[in-house]
Amino acid sequence: MQLRQSFIIAAILGVTAITSWEIYWRCQGVEPYLDDNKDLWANQRQRLQKKPKNTIVFIGSSRILYDIQLDLWRDLTHTEPIMLAVQGSSPIPIFEDIVKNTDFAGTLVVGVTPALLFSTTFPKAPPMRRAIAKVDYFKNRTYAQRINHILSVPLQTNLAFIRDGDEAWDSDVDLGTLLSRIHISERAGPPPVPFNNFEEIGLDRHMKMPEYVTNDTSYANTIKAVWKDILSADRPPPDKTATMAAFEKLANTFTKRGGNLILVRCPSSGLFKEVEAKGFPRHEFWDVLVNKVNAQSYHYEDYPQFQNLFLPEWSHLSAEDARFFTRELIGILKAEKAIPQINIDK
Amino acid sequence: MLFNSLSFIVFLVVVLILYYIKILSWTNKKRMLLFASYVFYGLWNPPLIILLWISTMVDWTAGNRLAKETKKKRRKFWLLLSMFVNLGFLGFFKYGNFLLENFVSLLNIIGLNFEPQPMDIILPMGISFYTFQTMSYTIDLYYKRTQPAKTFLDFALYVTFFPQLVAGPIVRAQDLITQFYEEKRATMNQFLWGLFLLTIGLFQKVVLADTLLAEVSDDVFGTSKVLHGLDAWVGTIAFSGQIFFDFAGYSTCAIGIALMLGIILPDNFKYPYAALGFSDLWRRWHISLSSWLRDYLYIPLGGSRHGIIKMYIALMLTMLLGGLWHGAAWTFMVWGGLHGTYLILERLQKKYLPFKITAYNGIFLAFLTFSCVNITWVFFRARTFEKAWHMIQSMFYVHTEGEKILGNFDIIKVCTVIGIMFLCHWYMRNSSLKEFARGLPAWLFGVFWATLFFLIVIAQGHGEQFIYFQF
Repeated sequence: MQLRQSFIIAAILGVTAITSWEIYWRCQGVEPYLDDNKDLWANQRQRLQKKPKNTIVFIGSSRILYDIQLDLWRDLTHTEPIMLAVQGSSPIPIFEDIVKNTDFAGTLVVGVTPALLFSTTFPKAPPMRRAIAKVDYFKNRTYAQRINHILSVPLQTNLAFIRDGDEAWDSDVDLGTLLSRIHISERAGPPPVPFNNFEEIGLDRHMKMPEYVTNDTSYANTIKAVWKDILSADRPPPDKTATMAAFEKLANTFTKRGGNLILVRCPSSGLFKEVEAKGFPRHEFWDVLVNKVNAQSYHYEDYPQFQNLFLPEWSHLSAEDARFFTRELIGILKAEKAIPQINIDK
Repeated sequence: MLFNSLSFIVFLVVVLILYYIKILSWTNKKRMLLFASYVFYGLWNPPLIILLWISTMVDWTAGNRLAKETKKKRRKFWLLLSMFVNLGFLGFFKYGNFLLENFVSLLNIIGLNFEPQPMDIILPMGISFYTFQTMSYTIDLYYKRTQPAKTFLDFALYVTFFPQLVAGPIVRAQDLITQFYEEKRATMNQFLWGLFLLTIGLFQKVVLADTLLAEVSDDVFGTSKVLHGLDAWVGTIAFSGQIFFDFAGYSTCAIGIALMLGIILPDNFKYPYAALGFSDLWRRWHISLSSWLRDYLYIPLGGSRHGIIKMYIALMLTMLLGGLWHGAAWTFMVWGGLHGTYLILERLQKKYLPFKITAYNGIFLAFLTFSCVNITWVFFRARTFEKAWHMIQSMFYVHTEGEKILGNFDIIKVCTVIGIMFLCHWYMRNSSLKEFARGLPAWLFGVFWATLFFLIVIAQGHGEQFIYFQF
């Protein structure tokens, strides 16, 4: 057995094959990017553990994640934002974690996406499970996992084919995902519409809508097709009573210890807006929640400047309009003295 | 730390550099390996290293006393102390919750309402493996089958040696400690073969188990729906492949990494799905555990020395406890019980209905064995008896209207992987990977190696834990 020869051949072929694979995906328009994974979330959550001062915490789902531009927030408010919103999830588990496991009593901004917040409190349902998984990971992550994350960041940001996401929507070029897109007839019903990724996130979880989604209508349409598929599927009715009660209880605990709670309803458009208007009418959900909790509330429909914003795929603002939304929201909050820290002129 | 992680690659490179630079003496290299092994374990949960230390200290002390002590009573005391500490840790950490749950159920049955506080016990990774390994040392010393370790460093390294610390192979003292007495350096061929074993082990774990099989198995065993027979079978064979590739992958990595350091670990799997019957299966599947159970449980229970009935009882007890070793749940006991039943039936068949195995009926017999093994995997994988029973009913087409949840491609993918695996096991059953590699031209073996490496990289994986870490 001539192992040395075999090893040299394997090394040359292996490196060549991986280089070709990288070049192939770059030619297909795939760029290296960070995944919004549990490690990024846990790092932000860790910041909260250090009892920071002058900090604003954001929780909710993907809308507030995309719509609040953290760099702008930092510059205009001179506060340190911690983004703990989790895509596709209810804010309740994260809110519960903050209330029960920290003594944070600063400003907490909750992004309300009605279809997720009012969906359920059942821990195994996806909107709850995703958020619970993030909290559990933060509590249980090992030192080895922390090192793995540190080592994976340079790979993710330099190689297009490297992915490190937690959810099916994070992966698009790994072997498992490529195989999962092969369907031969429809034995178990129609296959799900493939989800094209649209993340551009930093280590501080500053999320932006990538330009290729804003500029390429056909790409945005592939994401709309997924939303159509999801919104047309049979789903259990919202559990308004349980979700409202759980949120109210957490809100009361938080405000009683001096916390400043702010509810924000970020914009939606197209089919999302239609479905939300029918399934989660404002007067039955948002208004009731606002009346129940001792919080300041801001609904995008109440502000003329938030009408006609550009949401390329109906649910999240384009990068440019997200900056506009952030700037205007800060202006509104300042005018109403909603956040004590940002009224101080520094 | 997991073999299939970036941190392990860095860890291994650092260990290899320190091991092969010439500034360290052999003793210092062993100290470095011991320290590295604690780092390897501690990066998961540092406080649980204390358990390893206690186990090491107790067995080192007990071992030394057993080597010197001549009085039977005192010898027995030191053996029992070692077993009490090791089995005590295992019992508390692994079976504490299980025992409490069953105790509460028992009280509820007799009408007493008792609601204890949940114990929230963390299961230390690999505790079943290192506990059995250290126990074998003191038991062997008690029976004077081995010599005590020459130094504490050698013994501590035997308990903690990182390649096989958390999921085996479970190595006997005389096979490993003696290798630490003289300086070890891998030859170039050993080093490269070890690197190849690491590659093929990772390929089994990352590509075959996690990428190609795990999702189908998880979907089938995770659904609450009553399944169509085909879906139940495909999910079960997917798990059968997943657990083999996951565990054999780990063992292959462990053997490869040790070989890169010049240390030889025994084989743990020998193409088990081509086994001709169940005795043959247990000579091929998790060999280090099955030989441990044979030597330290089945034979002390009497083995075949006290007549057929007692032999069957010893066999069944061994398999039941073997099942319980895998996990603290009654489903694992049933899994062990089924294997015990298979072994007894096989012995009855050999006695009353003997037949000659030929080239023609061999593959059929191997397939029959594999099919029966698949039925046992249902109990191993299902979290509840209800789920297991539904799966068994679906597999035997009791639910003719069962739901179809798997796509055609998934079915083809799993059947192809499992079909190839079965045929590979059949053709390799009397051979070895090394013999196979020897028969290939160097360039072809290089292409094969590069293909494995490329598939690992593009599959990437997400650092999924090895299934056997939980045992």
